[in-house]
Amino acid sequence: MMAFLGISPQLLFGQLLIGLINGVFYAMMSLGVAIIFGMLRIGNFVHGAQYMLGAFGAWYLLHLPDLFPGLGLPSLGYWWALALVPVAVGLIGAFMERVFIRRVYELEHAYGLLLTVGLTMVIEGLFNVGYGAAGQRYDIPATLKGGVNLGFMFLPYYRLWVIAAGLFVCALTWYIVERTKLGAYLRAATENPNLVRAFGINVPRMLMLTYAFGVGLAGLAGVMAAPIYQVSPQMGQSIIITIFAVVVIGGMGSISGAIFTGLMLGMIEGLTKVFWPQASTTVIFVIMVLVLILRPAGLFGKETASVHAANISMARPNSFLENGRLWLPILSGVGVVLPFLVYPVFGMKIMCFALFACAYNLIFGYVGLLAFGHAAFFGSSAYIAAFTAASWGFPPEFAVLSGMTVATVMGAVFGWLAIRRQGLYFAMITLALAQLVYFYALQAPWTHGEDGIQSVPRGYLFGFIDLEDTMNMYYFVLAVFLIGFAAIYRIGRSPFGQILKSIRENELRAISLGYSTDRFKLLAFTLSAMFAGLAGATKAIVFQIASLADLYFTTSADALLMTLIGGVGTLLGPIVGAIVVVAMQKEFATLGAWVVVVQGAAFVLCVLFLRKGVVGTFEDWLATRSESKRNAAGYTADLAAKGAE
Amino acid sequence: MNAQVSLTVSDLQGWYGESKALHGMTFEVGAGEVVTLLGRNGAGKTTTLRAIMGLLRKKKGEIRFDGEDVAGRMPEYIARRGIAYCPEERGIFASLTVEENLFLPPVIAQGGMALEDIYALFPNIAERRNSQGTKLSGGEQQMLAIARILRTGANLLLLDEPTEGLAPVIVQQIGAVIRKLKERGFTVLLVEQNFRFASKLADRHYVVEHGRVIDTLTAADVAGNLDRIQSYLKV
Repeated sequence: MMAFLGISPQLLFGQLLIGLINGVFYAMMSLGVAIIFGMLRIGNFVHGAQYMLGAFGAWYLLHLPDLFPGLGLPSLGYWWALALVPVAVGLIGAFMERVFIRRVYELEHAYGLLLTVGLTMVIEGLFNVGYGAAGQRYDIPATLKGGVNLGFMFLPYYRLWVIAAGLFVCALTWYIVERTKLGAYLRAATENPNLVRAFGINVPRMLMLTYAFGVGLAGLAGVMAAPIYQVSPQMGQSIIITIFAVVVIGGMGSISGAIFTGLMLGMIEGLTKVFWPQASTTVIFVIMVLVLILRPAGLFGKETASVHAANISMARPNSFLENGRLWLPILSGVGVVLPFLVYPVFGMKIMCFALFACAYNLIFGYVGLLAFGHAAFFGSSAYIAAFTAASWGFPPEFAVLSGMTVATVMGAVFGWLAIRRQGLYFAMITLALAQLVYFYALQAPWTHGEDGIQSVPRGYLFGFIDLEDTMNMYYFVLAVFLIGFAAIYRIGRSPFGQILKSIRENELRAISLGYSTDRFKLLAFTLSAMFAGLAGATKAIVFQIASLADLYFTTSADALLMTLIGGVGTLLGPIVGAIVVVAMQKEFATLGAWVVVVQGAAFVLCVLFLRKGVVGTFEDWLATRSESKRNAAGYTADLAAKGAE
Repeated sequence: MNAQVSLTVSDLQGWYGESKALHGMTFEVGAGEVVTLLGRNGAGKTTTLRAIMGLLRKKKGEIRFDGEDVAGRMPEYIARRGIAYCPEERGIFASLTVEENLFLPPVIAQGGMALEDIYALFPNIAERRNSQGTKLSGGEQQMLAIARILRTGANLLLLDEPTEGLAPVIVQQIGAVIRKLKERGFTVLLVEQNFRFASKLADRHYVVEHGRVIDTLTAADVAGNLDRIQSYLKV
């Protein structure tokens, strides 16, 4: 066989084969995500963890005698796993639907995503506690060992089996959905669940079964993946973000489209590995960007344009808790004395994250856009500030400004791409774009990969204030925080901010009043990115490090969690949330891997029981109290008036 | 009135969130009757049907069907007890073919119409059985929406403004269909604003305003009370 462009056919076909296998997994997973999204309107972030459960399920079955010694249990191999594990994972899915997910159907989409993010953190965190980062081996079943030499390449039987079985499962799913009576129920319930109920079909049960089925597919993919990849708690973590990108590229509404897109992207990824290995982790996200520019609805999308922001602000505008002119001096006062009460570094950390959360609140709380990639702005800005300070010797104020500038530009570009789609897609796109940045930072030479940029000099502010002095540093951070807080408050109160809130409450109405809502959304997104950048850059100077963790999706999730705990859309919520989360991380730091579990549980509990957040709940309580007071006063006044008659 | 009562609604109150839409609806439909709810836009007619079907959650009062109070029940239960619903917006599914739309509602009891009878009643639907549901014309979609609830064996049909936005010739066809349904023994609760259409079909009319019944007329009363009826319905 001839070499093609200097690349040996063995390498080319080998990578194409790996690509095809990845493609099969992408297809099986995105199929599940797309069906669940279509029917339940839930962006099932926990799909990756469920895939991981499938792989671990297979591994558990194999090690039954070691896990439960003395019970005389047999070791069940691959074929048993293939039959039992998808069912078991599906049952776990049904249980999760019943206990958690069902509760958020009637709420905004945002909560479904948050809930599944929380569940993911709990599940993956628990496995991380149990098994750490190390992968477990799972052998190829004896019947499928070996392979066939095709002349130009060696084709292992197991891989052939995965491709055949995966394609068969995809085709079967397509047949069930598109050609059977059950599929007709599914399609009809996707369009109008209430009417289908009114025909006598138990739609709630159908939703549970659909979820279980989609999750079972993930479990099956996990079993099939176990002999190919290592069985590890992290195996589902990055695949879910890729799957979301696949769903964005394919677009909703076409089962065959989801299958085709998954396969195609796997192959493209494989090819990229041959021609430009460094780009192989990011190519899918780059394709997503291109598709968004050229065909915003996705390749096979027939998206019903639902112009709908998540109107979940918990603020009561008249509450004194929303009065920035009152709170700015109070916060300044508290800020000034704080370092004498708590450890200053702890205070600085809280302020950096509080500013980050305030910035996030600007887009999520004020405009109602579920951005899920603010780590990109926070982290990039941290890297730029760290780099300019460490390598180019920038003074801190310029390092922070450079970081902020880059974050602002990125915000404009990401916003420009993401506002082409609505609702959950917006979240998926921002998440995928942030992942693109993450993979870039993982590989680029100047970011130093896993190490990050360390020993960043704090330098002299304006050339003469030594920031190595903790108190100087502290008051610099306090100033940055107060300026950011005041600016965000001012933006919210400005006519521009009012328009943002009108978009949140009813975008169509805002459009019909003549506002070009996309421009407002873009500007708000860019501003939000800018302030997130300010927070990230300041954090890099304070802690003298920029690391991959700043860019990872968990940082985006932190911003969300802080905003949610404090109260979405409230003035003080993000600050309260930041205090809670940072304190929680500090308290549980000794627990190591448990931190993630605790944080995930906090997510789940907040979504289920504390949707108003601390500040939102408090504002509600104040409002009802003053109302009942007013009512009581009105009643006594009435009595007095009657008495006078 | 017929001896046997199919549906009794007593003092039904209903809310959309905080705003109250039904203020004590009370009426009765006898088995085999065609009864209309007449009234202007926003009077609460559609809300009443949604409440009967269990689609309106927040409600108080009694809805008795074949003697059983179904007011607290889920829509799927009520459907299986034998009430079928044809919504105002017709609810034809775009992702289903005409035939899939027709076969979507499960058969819940014996005695539904046979497929040949349905196709005989609606020849257009037979012709276009493999088209996408929403590719049909408005009139055909309305026919399909009625047709698909005839197979199931349900005996009380809730039809919400079946003539809305349709050409007069189609309205006549639908009138003929409803008459045939009555002959076959179906009980029909019809929501209408088109009184001329309804007056030729119904045994009784309930006039609805502000979420309650303000007047009742039998078919025999209609001729002598046209002015009164006009005053209820004119905008």
